[in-house]
Amino acid sequence: MQVRNSFKLALLKQMLLGFQLSAVSSNSMSVPERKNAIKLSADAAMVFARGSTRWTRGLVAGLSENSNNEDLLRGILGKKYERLSLPCRSSWKIPRSRKILKRCLGLCSRRKKATATQHDVKSGSTLARRLVKKRIQVLKKLLPGGESMAGFSLLDQTLDYAVSLKAQVDIMRRLLKISKASNLNK
Amino acid sequence: MSSRRPRSWQSSSASRITDEQINDLVSKLQAVLPEARIRRSDRVSAAKVLQETCNYIRSLHREVDDLSERLSELLASTESSSAQAAVIRSLLM
Repeated sequence: MQVRNSFKLALLKQMLLGFQLSAVSSNSMSVPERKNAIKLSADAAMVFARGSTRWTRGLVAGLSENSNNEDLLRGILGKKYERLSLPCRSSWKIPRSRKILKRCLGLCSRRKKATATQHDVKSGSTLARRLVKKRIQVLKKLLPGGESMAGFSLLDQTLDYAVSLKAQVDIMRRLLKISKASNLNK
Repeated sequence: MSSRRPRSWQSSSASRITDEQINDLVSKLQAVLPEARIRRSDRVSAAKVLQETCNYIRSLHREVDDLSERLSELLASTESSSAQAAVIRSLLM
């Protein structure tokens, strides 16, 4: 799964807009302040480029918790800010997809309990079940807005988020490279 | 693969989620992971894919943090408008 070029372009443009709005190049900022402004710009830009989805709304909610971020968020997101700040409607399909997810990931023990007679079932399926459960809990914490997601949505949004994050990293790497190069050419 | 569920208790057929769809997602996740973590040709357990996905997302977060730091050091020393104009030009061409 890849992001489109239009996504990368929008990300870059909004990130640079964020830099300008927060005046990162001015000397009045401390290094940590500048770093936070850059990070915030990068995240807001990524949200702008992706549009409305569960993780972007989760990310905006998280970033909005700090009131200092509001101006820059509004500056970068523009009209999208209001829409992205709306609370998520909880999906009706969560109970069913959670069941399917658990079965596919080997969490369902009913079948195994019925068939296992001679050998020790406890070690195999219980451990696997616990491991997958643990990993899903970790994933929920890593994914913005993940706590309210389950099953299919969780995996789907994880994929979407991972791909967007990778694009964000790529753009920032290229920006760094070119900034270095333009510095040397002075 | 297990049989499809009856449609009677689904109110919308368009949103019915099958086992195949979940497995498809897991393999798509595996495809997104860098080759160093999981060889994409291997059939790996879903649990392993989940674990490596968590590790991958964490490493991307760290990278963004590190790049932000390096950019903050770099952008401090450049002249604002000319540097950014040059960057935009070279990236958009």
